[in-house]
Amino acid sequence: MNIVVCVKQVPATTEVKMNKETNTIIREGIEAIINPFDTYAIEEGVRIKEQGGGKVTVISMGIPKVADLLRETIALGADEAVLLSDKAFAGADTLATAYTLSLGIKKMGPVDLIICGKQATDGDTAQVGPSLAAKLGIPHTTYVRKIEEIREGTIRCQRLTEDGYEVIEMPLPAVITVVKEINEPRIPSFKGLMKAKKAEIPVWTADEIAADESLIGLKGSPTWVVSTFVPQHNVNSEMIEGKPEEQAKILVDKLLSLQLPLSK
Amino acid sequence: MSTEIQPYQVEFDEYLRDESRSVGHADSISFPKNEDELIEIVRKLSKTEIPVTVQGARTGLAAAAVPYGGHLINIGRMTRILGARYDEQDNRFFLTAEPGVLLSQLRKAVSSGEFEIAEPDDLTQAALCRYKAGEWFFSPDPTEASAALAGMVACNASGARSFCYGPVRPYVEALRLVLVDGRTLHIRRGEQKAKGRDFCLNLDDGSYIIGKLPDYAMPKVKNASGYYIEEDMDLIDLFIGGEGTLGIITQIELRLLPMPKAVWGITTFFPDEKSALRFVRGLRGEKEATGVEFSVKPAAIEFFNHKALDLLRIQKQKIAAFAHIQELKATYYNAVYTEFHADSEEKVWEMVEQMNQMLEALGVSPEDTWVANNPRDMEKLLVFRHAVPESVNMLIDQRRQKDPAITKLGTDMAVPDQYLDKIMDMYNGEIQTNGLDYVAFGHIGDNHLHVNILPRDMEDYRKGKALYLQWANAVSAMGGTVSAEHGVGKLKAPFLAVMMTDAGIEQMRALKAVFDPQGHLNPGNMFTMKKEGDA
Repeated sequence: MNIVVCVKQVPATTEVKMNKETNTIIREGIEAIINPFDTYAIEEGVRIKEQGGGKVTVISMGIPKVADLLRETIALGADEAVLLSDKAFAGADTLATAYTLSLGIKKMGPVDLIICGKQATDGDTAQVGPSLAAKLGIPHTTYVRKIEEIREGTIRCQRLTEDGYEVIEMPLPAVITVVKEINEPRIPSFKGLMKAKKAEIPVWTADEIAADESLIGLKGSPTWVVSTFVPQHNVNSEMIEGKPEEQAKILVDKLLSLQLPLSK
Repeated sequence: MSTEIQPYQVEFDEYLRDESRSVGHADSISFPKNEDELIEIVRKLSKTEIPVTVQGARTGLAAAAVPYGGHLINIGRMTRILGARYDEQDNRFFLTAEPGVLLSQLRKAVSSGEFEIAEPDDLTQAALCRYKAGEWFFSPDPTEASAALAGMVACNASGARSFCYGPVRPYVEALRLVLVDGRTLHIRRGEQKAKGRDFCLNLDDGSYIIGKLPDYAMPKVKNASGYYIEEDMDLIDLFIGGEGTLGIITQIELRLLPMPKAVWGITTFFPDEKSALRFVRGLRGEKEATGVEFSVKPAAIEFFNHKALDLLRIQKQKIAAFAHIQELKATYYNAVYTEFHADSEEKVWEMVEQMNQMLEALGVSPEDTWVANNPRDMEKLLVFRHAVPESVNMLIDQRRQKDPAITKLGTDMAVPDQYLDKIMDMYNGEIQTNGLDYVAFGHIGDNHLHVNILPRDMEDYRKGKALYLQWANAVSAMGGTVSAEHGVGKLKAPFLAVMMTDAGIEQMRALKAVFDPQGHLNPGNMFTMKKEGDA
């Protein structure tokens, strides 16, 4: 089974700083890490390979330095990693990114399963996985929390929903995006690290994947970021003061005044 | 009013116990907010015959903060960082803090560079201009991050990294203290020293204290038992590890260290105990253990025995919070955690090569390792290490439901390097002979394991207690210590008596009497002032 895992380099913080002129992410001075959700994608790919055989190839589009992070994925059990890096890719939105990744994946030859993290912690769009499936013309399922079975050219997985999960079966090749409930990413071993240290990470340019210039980078990105912010969850808390008995009474009165439906 | 001496009421119950789960009693309590208020309280009490127990965050494991009658001073409201200082010549950074500042609070301030100092003086302002977040760290790392700094100083706390950096002691640059009669003392490292074993300590008001230091020799191991004594010693060291018996700490100046560029944590799994012990000795640079020259000094060497891994396997199934711990293969018998700090990644790789050679010599697969070289994976290894003591506490809480008199019996003993194998054989053998349940984990680099006897019933508890005392004798005979990092407090006083002998305890009493003739300050910690009360 040929498995491809897509990963993204993100800043090691949720407070993303933007360049006000270009509205792109400022990456200088902030430590770069593999998008945490993508580490679950890598682990799932490696587990499928360990159980049923095959090969895991990791792919990323990014600056040359991303090669270091790709080396890390080898330590985590990936067999190979490819970096798509070219000045022409710079400023890509999710559409241009999906297009670029799709070309990289096509260049690899036949692929059975593509796994992405559910979203990146910097952009939080969750669009690249589904867009990639559309570009490749194959089905996808998002928010996968468990792969129930892979057999005879199909995959059956559990898709996390707000109130439970749904079971979805689709033909391979396909794209899935995974949530953190799916597994616990491993910590690399010495053996993995030694392998990673020696690994060569090929870098493919726009020419090498035969990209249409008008569809990559800033040119190929119809999205204009107006502003970005970290959503604030507003939970209104009220501290109840007083002796324990008084506190209990105030709490009960408040709850009763809300007239919440009581279960019987 | 926070200088108020409030009569004890039921609502203060939580202040009667600490993490040792011993419960004491008190007649009154106070919560001073600053040094002036504390001095006022102490002066009021000094005119009475009331003994005083001082407590911080009550995370201690030896009941040093548990009062047995009298007044209880809780310093939990003295939580400000007061100032900073940068020594340009030696590139050293210092922070001054109140005694109730928690380790977690200090770490957060140090890592973010946000110290929230209300009225910074010129020195502080100049120092903070030079400060860069991420470039400094405070090396002592006891597992319990909610410990108060004064508690850590009072028991000379350690942690995993003290294998390389030592305990709290060398990082205490200056202290402010209030003596039992209300006089104050500001002591800075290097400024007041003993002459041989005689000392004269100058106090802030121009008065002084003259005394004689005990003539016992300190064990040549990591130690937190008894007053620290040395000829010509720096007198600040009397108060570090003094368990609050000589004075009350009201201000601490701490030294930070430059943050190493590369921090790696490596957990290695072994198929048996002998090979794990050989690995430990190899990591310490004992070439004969593995045949491989290991030239790097690890920051930490920790051990988790087979019973600890078994307990984790069980708790991982039961407790949701532990479900995220990595899979423990059935072939993993025990684990050794090593941490390396270096100036560059290249240096760590040199270490990796040497470590690999050692593992090869021991027949351990390089696959049976967890290597963390980024904060994400380091956090995972930390969760794993902390899960062991947490699992022990959960198990004991379960057993206490059947018999509330049961507590865990956790040892804190250390011996010199040459006795590592002997002490391990002693623990394993005697536990087995007595048919007891246990786990062992901790700072094996310093031959300092926490053997936790887990009594199933009162019979086990009695057997365990007897064994504990037997071990105190054995460890003392090897030149070791009965408490290497938790302190003696009240619970380990009988073991200290074994280690120090009557003569040593008598000399400690005499030293305390110079500072506190009535024995009113933190009575019962380390020893009691009445001779007949020893047992």
